[in-house]
Amino acid sequence: MKNFLIRLVWRIFSGILMVLVIASLTFFLIRLMPGDPVSAQYNQLIMQGMTPVQAENQVKVMYGFIPDEPVGEQFVNYIWGLLHFDFGQSISYEGIGVSHIILNAAPWTLILVFTGLIASFLVGVLAGVISAIKRSSPTGTILTVSGSLLHGVPQFVMGLLLAYLFTTLWPILPFGAPYDSSINPGFNGPFISSLISHAVLPVVTYALSSYGGWLLTMKSSVITVLGDDFILASEIRGLKSSTIIGYIARNAILPLFTLFTLSIGFMFGGSVFIENIFDYPGLGNLLLKSIDTRDYPLMSGAFLLITIAVIAANIITDFLYTFVDPRIRR
Amino acid sequence: MSDTSTVNTESAFKDQKQKMAISARNINVVYATPTGDIPAVRDVDIDLPKGSITGIIGESGSGKSTLIMAIMNAVTKPGKITSGSVILNGENDILQLSSEKQRKIRGKEIGFVFQAAQNSLNPLRRIGQQILDLGRAHEVNDLRELIKYAKRLLIRLGLDADRVLASYQHELSGGMRQRVGIMFSLVLNANIVFLDESTTALDMLSQASVLEIIRELQKEKNLTIAFVSHDIGVIADLSERIEIFYAGEIVEEGKTSEVLASPKHPYTKGLIKAIPKISGDIDAAEPLKGSSPDYRTFKQKGCLFYDRCPIRTNSCQDSRPELNITNRDHKVACFRVGANDRD
Amino acid sequence: MTTPGTAKSVHTFTPKSYNGASFWKAAWRSITRKTSRIIGFAIIVLFTLMAIFGPYLYSSHLPINTNAIYAPISWKYPLGTDFEGTSNLALIITGARYVLLAAALGALFTVIFGTVLGLIAGYFVGWSDSIIMRITDFFLTIPSFPLLVVLSTVWNFGHPLAMGFILGITSWGGMARAVRSQTLSLRERGFVEAARGLGLSPFHILFREILPNVSSYIGMNLLTSITGCIYAEVGLFFLGVVPFHVNNWGVMLNMAVFSAGAMSSPDALPYLLSPLLALLLLTLGIVLFLDAVDEMFNPRLREDV
Repeated sequence: MKNFLIRLVWRIFSGILMVLVIASLTFFLIRLMPGDPVSAQYNQLIMQGMTPVQAENQVKVMYGFIPDEPVGEQFVNYIWGLLHFDFGQSISYEGIGVSHIILNAAPWTLILVFTGLIASFLVGVLAGVISAIKRSSPTGTILTVSGSLLHGVPQFVMGLLLAYLFTTLWPILPFGAPYDSSINPGFNGPFISSLISHAVLPVVTYALSSYGGWLLTMKSSVITVLGDDFILASEIRGLKSSTIIGYIARNAILPLFTLFTLSIGFMFGGSVFIENIFDYPGLGNLLLKSIDTRDYPLMSGAFLLITIAVIAANIITDFLYTFVDPRIRR
Repeated sequence: MSDTSTVNTESAFKDQKQKMAISARNINVVYATPTGDIPAVRDVDIDLPKGSITGIIGESGSGKSTLIMAIMNAVTKPGKITSGSVILNGENDILQLSSEKQRKIRGKEIGFVFQAAQNSLNPLRRIGQQILDLGRAHEVNDLRELIKYAKRLLIRLGLDADRVLASYQHELSGGMRQRVGIMFSLVLNANIVFLDESTTALDMLSQASVLEIIRELQKEKNLTIAFVSHDIGVIADLSERIEIFYAGEIVEEGKTSEVLASPKHPYTKGLIKAIPKISGDIDAAEPLKGSSPDYRTFKQKGCLFYDRCPIRTNSCQDSRPELNITNRDHKVACFRVGANDRD
Repeated sequence: MTTPGTAKSVHTFTPKSYNGASFWKAAWRSITRKTSRIIGFAIIVLFTLMAIFGPYLYSSHLPINTNAIYAPISWKYPLGTDFEGTSNLALIITGARYVLLAAALGALFTVIFGTVLGLIAGYFVGWSDSIIMRITDFFLTIPSFPLLVVLSTVWNFGHPLAMGFILGITSWGGMARAVRSQTLSLRERGFVEAARGLGLSPFHILFREILPNVSSYIGMNLLTSITGCIYAEVGLFFLGVVPFHVNNWGVMLNMAVFSAGAMSSPDALPYLLSPLLALLLLTLGIVLFLDAVDEMFNPRLREDV
């Protein structure tokens, strides 16, 4: 038990370290921007008549750091801020805290990706099992081929196609924005149905893109398990087929477990295209917009959050797995 | 008059049949391969008398394991049983029963012990849980009693029963796993136990102790045992009857002591000559000439051992030899029985 | 003992010389085994030819025809035209070069980085392994697409070589890990020990003994890597984060959706659909061909039953 806790603490610690390293990298990355925009802004403010102190403060608010400070000091301030969950202030949103903006955007991404992930996982795994068991029959082949093809189509292509099909060709679904802007948000019927109808295409796009992967992985896993000695042994010992199917299922889904939890981590960064095409105000869209407006604090904040999610998912996956697979215990 | 005599012969016949735990006739198993259909087991008849230990010996690929699987109707694809009947305890042909009935027989009437190297247990479930699964599959009413019995067997096999039942497969050593496999085959009180190369992957010491345990248990419970191996030493040690397998057929069978002391089939003779003796010149051990049968051998009209036989003649190519009795129950399938090498 | 009567005409028995199925022969057989794979192969060849020879078929500045903006599909414009009246077909054909070149370079970089680092880490275990794996884990953790997007602000990697390089830098992680684990298991094998016993230099062992055994994995990954790179670069252009360099399919998509409003106006549709179709076709080709590559490198899959 003690070992376990030590490992957990060490992992969290190295996770935090990694986040800080990445934060530092983005910090210095910004400094590499061609044509130092920060100094340019500072100089412009001076020329507009501000005093150096005022200009300094203004720039600090906008970019999160003072251009004339030695880089070391800037860096320390930045890191210090991070540890207090202060991601700085956004430029394009006129000084609103980055963390605030990010936290507003995150739920949109979460709804989208989480729904899509679960849907694609459930359907994909089921289809994978069927395609493995019936792999010599037409059913199995059709499932496998369709899974491969869907898997091969990139997200944005899928998104564009679906958008075109269902919003232009057969306009049954609305295009763009998370909900109809004329409706008042709240816990009312029209709002919720609008939410849902606007979410259908993005979620379906995400689900269809990931479905193939689950199918193929599960199929290969089931085939591997079917060839295992203990399955034959169980049949020879006269176990019931239902029991044997249970054995197969649990053994086959084990490797997919890690993939699933890792996918949850990749949720935040995984929907950049979809949010772009369907104009969904999630983290991916935020990242893109911040790049457009050269809003560096916002950009690093969004990027950082995406990375933190992945790191956290990695750590959680590692630890959960030890509980799930008896072969990897202590 | 004749009525009583027919009744007598009938009951004598029945007695004879009931003395057989397994009576298999005309077993044919075929493997479908890219190069054609290979007969893995060809027209084999085999009897396992109750309470006997029969050793089945042959090279890798001779079909001996396939035969055992066929008796349980557990041949894996691409193999298929194309004909045969297996009478269990003188009653039913188990190959004709419904799959549900066959499933019940497996495990309860016939136990099976795998090769030591194979992982015959579910890696994700504890041993104890798997015993319960087994009990539930065979409608055992008192599961607690089953566990108790399993524990007794494990202790008998020299293991720490409580620890083993709570363990996962990967927490046990190879020898321990082998003994757990033996326990699984006996826990439902099967009277017939098949062992397929069960000591092949074990070191010599474990092998000796496993064999000892098998001998003891057999005596205690009057088990009928069929032991498949390619190790003639193990077979000689354990079995009372021996079946020599070559290319899917039985070429010689009989009492172990007799067959090994005076082998009649050239293959058997070759096998024995190939064993180096502990006393004597190691060069006196002579390996068998030629190589194992492949898909082309099976297309031959004549004796399948022809290519490697030191006493063959042209007439051996015409047809396959049948098993014939030489004396008492010592049978050989060879046209040239009685002839010497280089005759 | 043959009497003159029974001596039939003797055919000299010349057995077919068994030179072992050469890899390329076996590969060709794998491809031709199923029609689907032949189709896939043909598609890939078609696009490769497009990439190599396409730009030569047209003058370097494609003809603009202001009278034929968003022209419908016709014999003259088999795929319609764009906002300037240039034939979409011409755009696709000339755009193929960038797409495939950048993807090929990207896959090449990925495989080279990944394999070399994986081999070193897996063979020379110890501190080199730890360091390399730390770096690899680091790169694996950072989600690659957001990273690419962020990097795009710092560096303009529109040039195919730069694009390939950046793609390679961000995606070698998976490859390195896999090669490392393969190397780890291979180095314990008999033939490696034998080579070590013979005193062969580690360099030799790595590249002449271990590498060929890992090559099957590399071959498969090369193809999937190309696919991944195509999507990444097209995606980047589509999002508009990489400036317009030369015409390529991603740029077309970007223009179609964001400038031409192809989603709402049916006229501009061919402009949107052409690159989509090209992408899908190429994907299809690779997916179908992948089946053959899998079998080429994994003889166990050659089931005739």
